[in-house]
Amino acid sequence: MNALELITEYWPRFLDGTLMTLKLTGMGVLIAAVVSPFFALLRTDAPIYVRIPLRIYISFMRGTPILAQLFLIYYGSGQFRPVLQEWGLWGFFRDPFNCALLAFALNSTAYQTEIIRGAIAGVPQREIEAAKAFGMSRFKTLQRVVFPHTYRIAWPALGNEVILLMKASALASVVTVFDIMGRTRQVFSKTFDFSAYLWAAIIYLCITALFVGVWRLAEKRLGRHLEMHSGKVDTPKITKTAAPMRGIR
Amino acid sequence: MNTESPVKSPAPAATSTSATASIPVLDARNIKKRFGDTDVLKGVSLQAHPGDVISILGASGSGKSTFLRCLNFLETPTTGSISVLGDEITVRDGKLSNKDQLQTIRRRLGMVFQQFNLWTHRTVLENVTEGPIHVLGLKRDDACARAISLLERVGLSHCSDQYPSMLSGGQQQRVAIARALAMEPDAILFDEPTSALDPELVKDVLEVIRSLASDGMTMIVVTHEMSFAKDVSSHVVFLHQGVIAEQGTPEQMFGAPATDVFRQFIGESL
Repeated sequence: MNALELITEYWPRFLDGTLMTLKLTGMGVLIAAVVSPFFALLRTDAPIYVRIPLRIYISFMRGTPILAQLFLIYYGSGQFRPVLQEWGLWGFFRDPFNCALLAFALNSTAYQTEIIRGAIAGVPQREIEAAKAFGMSRFKTLQRVVFPHTYRIAWPALGNEVILLMKASALASVVTVFDIMGRTRQVFSKTFDFSAYLWAAIIYLCITALFVGVWRLAEKRLGRHLEMHSGKVDTPKITKTAAPMRGIR
Repeated sequence: MNTESPVKSPAPAATSTSATASIPVLDARNIKKRFGDTDVLKGVSLQAHPGDVISILGASGSGKSTFLRCLNFLETPTTGSISVLGDEITVRDGKLSNKDQLQTIRRRLGMVFQQFNLWTHRTVLENVTEGPIHVLGLKRDDACARAISLLERVGLSHCSDQYPSMLSGGQQQRVAIARALAMEPDAILFDEPTSALDPELVKDVLEVIRSLASDGMTMIVVTHEMSFAKDVSSHVVFLHQGVIAEQGTPEQMFGAPATDVFRQFIGESL
């Protein structure tokens, strides 16, 4: 069986895996994207008993391997089955997809919080001052001045985070989620044809390339106020290669 | 709702602020400000009546910008009280007596910054409509109409769809003035409005401020432009080492300076 025959025969499985990868990554990123701006604000501007637990959480998520986090949730929850059953949570933790989603969302939230926090620190202070001087409320200032700037600043870094998480989501296959990697291993164990992994790589690469394209387009639109800026635009561009190895997470 | 428009009301003809019977637009009493161990302001009082144009002069480090920024609480004074048309906030040990008044006072005082401080992610038009829509609660159409006529007034209606980064400093500052006017403030604070501009751009900005003065807008202007202070202002205040060293009408001040420090100051500047 050559590589072409493999894909013509097993494409439904690959498609299925691709959808699963997209679903897992997409949901994880979205959950993190909703939570992280609040965490980022709390990270800088909250009482110490909120800030310290938040820091510990972020340090833990960024300082331990994502695979370990996944195992901790997937196998760890099994240890507490009676308790979880009592609380009615066992149904959630029994499903490997939910465990993977929780792990990825928690992990991405930590990273996105730090990205957003850094970007908030980079918002021009003068413009915040102008908002104050105009009598804008704190909420309005955040909504109209701080966050619009924050997301423009954070955009490339957020794009990288999405790509990193998408690639890390392959780890979900280890806890029996049938994502691209899971399906590929399935196909490989049936066919013993190494080209299955080649196809997996191609699919990952296509998703990444497509995503980068869309993200750059959005970046251009977001940055249109800088277009004729006296050549001082120094926002870093996202690249596929700029990503540090996921393994260090 | 801010329905009264003080710009259109005729300015009292009085040149001496203390002689007028009208309530002051702005009344700052005994403002003190400490930064760490340094007393930057050692008790400065100032009253602005409708139509007054008050120039605040002083060497750098004299506390003039700090004083201006205390007036709308961008800096919190250490002690003192500020009232704008009767709404008063008293500060003791850096604590405000009445935080609810803060936004009211800020809405009534327009501010124009040395570095313009325009919102760079919004177009010129959006910069001018931002306050009316999101602070005063105006309808978008009304705010746009107001913005367009103000941009015409400062000579920039052709720039309304551009972003601030595409404009020169002088143009940006004129947008900033239009942005302040759009709030229909009772007084406008100018913090060295021409100091960040190239010399050839200063004229346009001063021209706009001058025309506001002749319309009776109440203004407090921290400036280094002696000729502006001399020609346009109704009252000049000279700050030196955190206190008012000399004040009066420009004729008095520039004609016959009463103190050595001010004589020396204008000697150096002219």
